[in-house]
This record gives sequence, C-alpha cells and structure tokens, in this order.
Amino acid sequence: MAKVQVITDSTADIPKDLVEKLGITLVPLKVHLEGQSYLDGVTIEPQEFYRKLAESEEMPTTSQPSPVDFVEAYREAAKDGETDIISIHLSSSFSGTYQSALLAQSMVEDEFKVTVIDSKTASYAIGMIVVEVAKAAQAGHSLDECVAVANRMIEEEQVYFLVDTLEYLQKGGRIGKASAMVGSLLNIKPILSIDREGVIFPIDKVRGKNKANTRIIELLKQNTVSDRSYRAGILYTDNREEAEKWAERLQENIPSLEETVFAEIGPVIGSHVGPGTVAVVLAPVQE
Amino acid sequence: MLQEIDANVFTQMIRAGAVKLNSHVEEVNALNVFPVPDGDTGTNMNLTLTSGVREMEKKAASSSHVGTLAQALSKGLLMGARGNSGVILSQLFRGFGKAAADHETLTARSFAEALKRGVETAYKAVIKPVEGTVLTVSREAADKGVLRSRQTEDITVVMEAVLTEARTALEKTPELLPVLAKADVVDAGGHGLVLIYEGFLAALTGEEISYTPKNETKKPAQQLETLGEIAHRRSAQSRFDPAAIEHGYCTEFIVQLSERGGKTFEEERFRSEIGRYGDSLLVVADDDLVKVHIHAEHPGETLNYAQKYGSLTRIKIENMREQHSAILENAPADPSPAEVDPKEEPAEKKPYGIVTVAVGDGLTDIFGSLGVDVVIQGGQTMNPSTEEILQAIDGIGADHVIVLPNNKNIIMTAEQVVDLVEVPVTVLPTRTIPQGLSALLSFNPEETPESNRERMMESASSVQSGEVTYAVRDSQYEGGQIQEGDFLGIREGEIQTVGGSLMATSRGLLAKMLEDGADVTTVLYGRDVTDAQVKELTDFLKRNYPEVECEVHYGGQPLYYFIFSVE
Repeated sequence: MAKVQVITDSTADIPKDLVEKLGITLVPLKVHLEGQSYLDGVTIEPQEFYRKLAESEEMPTTSQPSPVDFVEAYREAAKDGETDIISIHLSSSFSGTYQSALLAQSMVEDEFKVTVIDSKTASYAIGMIVVEVAKAAQAGHSLDECVAVANRMIEEEQVYFLVDTLEYLQKGGRIGKASAMVGSLLNIKPILSIDREGVIFPIDKVRGKNKANTRIIELLKQNTVSDRSYRAGILYTDNREEAEKWAERLQENIPSLEETVFAEIGPVIGSHVGPGTVAVVLAPVQE
Repeated sequence: MLQEIDANVFTQMIRAGAVKLNSHVEEVNALNVFPVPDGDTGTNMNLTLTSGVREMEKKAASSSHVGTLAQALSKGLLMGARGNSGVILSQLFRGFGKAAADHETLTARSFAEALKRGVETAYKAVIKPVEGTVLTVSREAADKGVLRSRQTEDITVVMEAVLTEARTALEKTPELLPVLAKADVVDAGGHGLVLIYEGFLAALTGEEISYTPKNETKKPAQQLETLGEIAHRRSAQSRFDPAAIEHGYCTEFIVQLSERGGKTFEEERFRSEIGRYGDSLLVVADDDLVKVHIHAEHPGETLNYAQKYGSLTRIKIENMREQHSAILENAPADPSPAEVDPKEEPAEKKPYGIVTVAVGDGLTDIFGSLGVDVVIQGGQTMNPSTEEILQAIDGIGADHVIVLPNNKNIIMTAEQVVDLVEVPVTVLPTRTIPQGLSALLSFNPEETPESNRERMMESASSVQSGEVTYAVRDSQYEGGQIQEGDFLGIREGEIQTVGGSLMATSRGLLAKMLEDGADVTTVLYGRDVTDAQVKELTDFLKRNYPEVECEVHYGGQPLYYFIFSVE
C-alpha cells in the first residue's frame, strides 16, 4: 500500500517541532513589507516580522504560492513512485492558495495522485487538521482514511479569535461579515469565528477584553460534550503571555482537555489579523 | 340652559382648555415625582394639545360640524403627542373624536358618552394601565359625567360634575400610587387634565379666556411639505442624476373627499391605482382628506383620477428637470437636524433602519458609530413627538425599523408610531442611554426582527445605568432631605446618593454601582463637566477598581453631568 505524504502551506502555523516530527511538507506564501518580499516562515520569523510591522508605516501585503511552487513540492514528495499526496490549504475565501494547489494538481495528474482539500479555515485551525492527518498517515492509514480524518476535523473544529483592531482585517479585505463593526467609537471586542464557507463572521460583540474572554469560554463550553476529550490550540502573535493565560483558562474550564498546543501566528496570517490577536481552536480527539 | 355644543362652543371649549393648561405649565411640571430636570409632564401635555388645537383651527373656518373638528383635534394630538401623558391625552381625544364623528352638535348625553369613549380608548392604548394617574382621573370624571347626563340636559351642569369629580379623583391619586404619596404630590398628568376641564367649563359659563399660546417651541409641521421631504429623501438618486428622472413633475395635492368619494374611497386601491401614473408615491389618508405626493410624467392625469373622489386643494406641481440644479445647490443646506450623518441613501432598501433618541453631540456620534441611522435630538428634558419619530422612520426607507427610545417617557410615544407607519417597526423599550448602547451591540442585520428584539433586550437588561444630575427643587428621598441645587446620583431611576459636591456624589454612585464587581465601566460625560473633573473620576476608578476596564467618552449631554454604564 502506498504511503501518504501530507502537504500544507505556511499559513497552517504549525510549530516547527511538530512539522519535523510528523514529516509535514510546507509550501510558503509570501509577505511583502516596505518593498521587501519574504518567504513566510522561511526568510522571516514571526517575532522579527511583528517587530518590523510595529516600525512600519505601511500595511503588509501577502501573496499565494504559484502553481509551480506546488508542482515542485508534489514532485519531490512523489519521487519514490509509491506515495499518495494529501494537500490541505488555507480557506479559499481568504486566498488563492487553494486555487493554486488545484492548478498544480491538474498539472501532475497524469503522473501521480494528489488530493487537495480546502480547510475553510486559517492558521493553526488548519494546522490542527494537518497534524491529525499527518499522525494518521504516520500510523500507516490509507489515503481515504486520511481524507476522512481531515473532513471530520473540518466538521468538528471550532475557532474563536479576538483581534486588537479590525483595521488589519478590513484593509486586507478579509473582514467578511464583521465589516459592520468598523468605526465604532466604543471599545467593542468582536468575537470572530469562521463559518462553514470559510468566511469571517462576528459571533458576538462585547465591551472590553474581560467580557470577551468570558464569552469565549462560554461558547467553548456550550459546544463541548462531557463524554469526549478535546485538544486545543492557542494562537498568538506578539503576546505569548496572553496565550499562557488562555492555557490556564482552558485548563480550568474544559476538564477533558487532553492536549494544548501553542502556535505562533506567522507573518502571512499576522498581516491580516494584526498584532495583539489571540485565538483558540478546539476539536474533539478522534476515536 | 345650554343644551347643545355646536362647532362654535366646541372650539371655544378646546381653546379655553388649551389656554388654561398653557398658563399653568410650570405648575404641572413641578409635580414631577423626582426633583430632576426630566421630561416635564406640563410641557409635554401643552405641546401635545397645542398641536391638536392647531389642526382643529385649520378646519374651524370651514366646518361647523363638531365631529369633523373633534377628528381634526384628534389627528393633531396624535401627531403632536410627546411624553406618556401626551400620548394618553391624545388617546382620550381620539376616542372622543370617534364617538363624536357623526355628530354635527353634541348634547349633554353624547358629550359625556364621548368622554367615556375616550377613557376606554386610552385604557386600551396603555399596555399596563396604572391607577392613580391621569387614567384614573379621566375615568372617574367621565363616569360621573355619564351619570349626570342621565339626569339633566344642561351641558354646563354635566361639565361641572365632570370637573368636580376630576378634582376629587386627582386628590386621591397619592392614595393609589405610593410613589406620589412619598413625594407628596398629586399626579401631574391628572392635574393637567383637570386644568383642561377647567378651561372647558370656563368657556361654557362665558368666562373671558383669550387664546394666545406662548409656550410654543416647535413650528407647526406642515403635513404636505413633510410628505414631499420624505419622498425626496427616499429618491435621493433622482436628485443627483437628471438623466435618471423618469417622471418629471413633482405633484402634490390634497383631495377633499366628497360625500360619494368618501364612500367609495379605499386607501389601498387608491394607492395602487394612482401609483400607475408615477413613482415616489406617498398617500396619507385622514378621514375626509387624502394627501398625495407623486412624481408623474403627466400630472394632469393624476389630478383627473384623484378628482373622481372629491375636490382638489393645495395643488403644487413642479418641473423637477428644470429644478434640478437649484435643488443640488440647496440640498446640502437642508439636512434634517435629526440626522447623524446625512449619507446618501442607497438605491436598494436596506433590511433594517435604526432610530434612537439622545441629546448631546458626543452621544449622537457614538450612536452613529454603532450604526444608528437617525438620532432624534431629545430625551430627558425634551421628549420627541409622535410626528418626529414618524418622520425619522419614514426618512430611512428601510424594510424594518427598530426604535430605541432610551427613556421611560418616550417609549409610549414610540409605540404609538407603530400603527401610523407602513414600515414594520419594532420598539425596544430601552429606558436609558446605556441600555440603548448595549442593545445596539447585539443587533445583527442578518437576524429576524424577533430574534433581534430578544437579543437586544437581553443585552439591554445586562447593563446597569447611572446618571448624575442636580435637584430642581427641594424634596426628600428615602435617605433624607434634598435641597434645590443638590447633586443627585441616580441608578435605574432611583436616587442613590445626594450631596453638595458633584464629584463626591458621582464617586458615591459609582461605588454603589460597582459593589458587586463588573467587567466594564463606561463614563459618558456631559457638556458642563471640566476635563479636570473627568480626570479625577477616571483616576478614582483606576485606583479603586483596577480590575474593571474603564472607558471614558464625551457625551455632550446637557443637565446630566455623567452617565455611567456598568456591565
């Protein structure tokens, strides 16, 4: 039976040790800031990026990998002639990355098989899916089984995020249904999520950070059941301390939490949500 | 012995009632339960009645039919109603007008019956009628009038009975409503009604009363012109693009329904048939008057059609293509003062419009930033009228309009508008500015009106509201004496702290509001507060409640130094 190779893009924001351990292939997107172009997570690291961003007067822009970038990654993975490829990517509503991967797939389809999946989400919410699929692949599961894991994860995952300001989402054109809240004079904290079409929407609006945190915990509790255990991802930008506090809150409130992964939001996603963003991903552990 | 109220007597009675009330406005205002600068009952009733009299006067010259005059009075009261007492007054005369509609003159009996009918109408209009208010006074007086009218045909005698009973009922209002007893006052609305009845009786007995309204603060809203304004605001596009003008003549007129026309007239059918001649159609039917505004290419045809129903008056036809450049020049100069942000109307109707009531430039900006379409300037001291709310709703051109009154005294007026506009309207009974702000956070344009109502009210109820103002007269409260000029800290309508120092009173109120902890405190400071005072209060919050997030905004409201929102 062919083995399965998992490929994703740099916006999955998977911690480096997991990438190595699970043998995941990353295709980087690009980020452009003040006339310089960087390969996401390759030629620029998150903390360096946030430092530059703080000093920059411009908003950063980002671009998707070209189909050729994907073709190269696919060829490299398939060179032993007995590998199936599963390629999981950033929501097609945010980026052309998925489209680019589909094009690459059609360019190599006569040679070997690639299954491209639209995660309908972003950052470590993709990462968590990819990690679970990679674990299944490493355990020797078939391509179909790996695809099933991916689909279940997409279905069952919940993600909530808090941005410090809606400015980045708005300027980058990824604000989705949260646009109505731009420009409010009150300090409104929108709790954002990503819907099934992969579009950002405000799940609730509250005043101030305290209430936002309380509300996210409430939402997480509402959507968990006592007879399943869960794994969490805490996503942060330049605010690791905030992430640590979130880990404590999750420990206190989700009793059946099996694992918590800290994931640093990389330059590309960071360009669109802005510094100060924190997010929580939660998914049930697959049986 | 006077056995008949004819048109002349009727108008004199109403005028005299209005004069009597008008000259005692301050006396009625002083009966406010709380000594705060609040929506004043006397002012509200007076403005309401003034609006009614104005409508009646328009008919007085041409009609000698009491029913017609009473209906005109009723219409004017309805549109001018402001404050709860104004709304109830308008309902009293609405019922009266209906009962009198077919009477050219009134006998003692039919007059008393009409008063009684008014009482029934008013009780129905109030969701939870409270005894010990103007409702009780009106009911007992009318009942007595009906009783007396069975014994005598003398209208003066009946009116005397009505007035005497109204006075007796008024004196008893503190027994029925403990809050009145505590403040040692009688019900203000009831007192206003007694004054009106005193005027009625004076007119009947021939006492000299001249009608000179002096307390008018608002210009009469010219119905027809208002119609045009609304229609033109709706079709902003045609104002800015002459090529888009399909129907070139703005046509406005009033149909005075003939007897035959009145019988065959059906508003819906009229609207759809006349609508074929053009667009921007607005039709307001009111008994025997139908006001029409339409943009038509052939205005003559429109007039021919309408003329089938009666005679036409106040015809105004303007060539919009010719006018176009002139309108463009004038347009920026005439935005309604109520509009937050006179942005261009989208051609598509939006699913929701939001109207709220607040006073102060800062508050207006904050509400605007939260997506409110129209902030009607008003609130504590100035309650908007039915008509103002109605115009705000009509001007938005949305499929559904949500109204946030933000004051207990404006809720009824807003609710009254629901039946007067074609657009479905949801009135959320927000009683304070913080409740209104909080409700807006839960508004979601993609949800149904029912779901929005539920979410927004839940949100409104999750916030504590506080305000700091001053006492307008000596009084007492549970904690002791209040001197005129004292500062008052009020939470959810209850006086909590009283003192001679603004800052100490404010701190005291905040301390009470924050007793059980909170996540966020918002301070909205008024226009009479200094930067140093704002800083002092902010420092106090930071020092004593470091775990509570604190947000400070300029509200710009008069009379209320601070408004606090704790959640």
